[in-house]
Amino acid sequence: MVSDEKLVEEALSGSELAFGELVARYQERLLRFLLARCRNRADAEDAVQDTFISAYRYLHSYNPRWRFSTWIYRIAIRNASRQPQHDMRALDAFADENAADPLEACIVDSDHENVWLTAKRLLSEEAYAAMWLRYVEDMSIKEIARALDKTQSWTKVTMLRGRRSLSAELGDDPREEARRENYGRI
Amino acid sequence: MDEFERRLKRDAEDIHIEITPEFRERIDASLRGTKRIKAVPDMRTSGINLWWASSLTGLAAAVIVVVLINWNRPVAEPVPVEPVAKRTVPAAIDELQGLSPPRLIKTAEFTTPLEEELARLQADIERARASVRKDIEFSF
Repeated sequence: MVSDEKLVEEALSGSELAFGELVARYQERLLRFLLARCRNRADAEDAVQDTFISAYRYLHSYNPRWRFSTWIYRIAIRNASRQPQHDMRALDAFADENAADPLEACIVDSDHENVWLTAKRLLSEEAYAAMWLRYVEDMSIKEIARALDKTQSWTKVTMLRGRRSLSAELGDDPREEARRENYGRI
Repeated sequence: MDEFERRLKRDAEDIHIEITPEFRERIDASLRGTKRIKAVPDMRTSGINLWWASSLTGLAAAVIVVVLINWNRPVAEPVPVEPVAKRTVPAAIDELQGLSPPRLIKTAEFTTPLEEELARLQADIERARASVRKDIEFSF
């Protein structure tokens, strides 16, 4: 299997197929990630589309020192944050009260609540993103910090608090509940 | 990997996303209409090069200015340094001292103080005389 970085090289050489392969590899992963940050699926799809357009346009600025996934997630997070509806989320919350959560709509029925739904409810967007990149995308702390444009210390602390909050909420460790109360919403 | 991490991974996989052909076609269409921005020179490298170029240019200009300023300046001739006299007594004196008796010197040594003393005395007398004359004129 050709690596992402090799595909980027080929795309920079003018291969449209190479970039198409990158799109195929990341479209589902990005959409799944962005569903938690957008009001609905259409907004998430728009964010994914904008991400690929930005990546295609600025492909020359990709630094091979970092993995391609780090770079594309960095773009995705920025694009999602710039969406106008992102800032209007609080104002539109009342209007969307009856709208289904796009993330919840994509989760198959299970006997327990999906932990990512819990994370979305409990954690801040950045903490959610850090947890996602760590446990789903298997990124290192350094890569997560790069993708989120934060320091490694911030990333470590945020992930630790996020994990404690989730563990306490899920009942894995009752002692964590008290600790989470002190941290509040992270 | 502990149970918590396994659950995070498992639940992420439970988020089922179906990529519709329309969505993929939309992405492809938008990419077709997008122009790739060509790479621009790395500003960090060019910045360093610019710094070096400007520094060297400035240095060369400073050297040229210094050379031009000093080019036509007349070279000051070295001032001859007179040797410091080791002795203050003219050599002729030595020759004279060798004579016996050194009349000229002895005479000068003897007469000069007396002449000075005489001149002082005459001056004192003259002042006293003027003073007495003034007193007499004042009395009468």
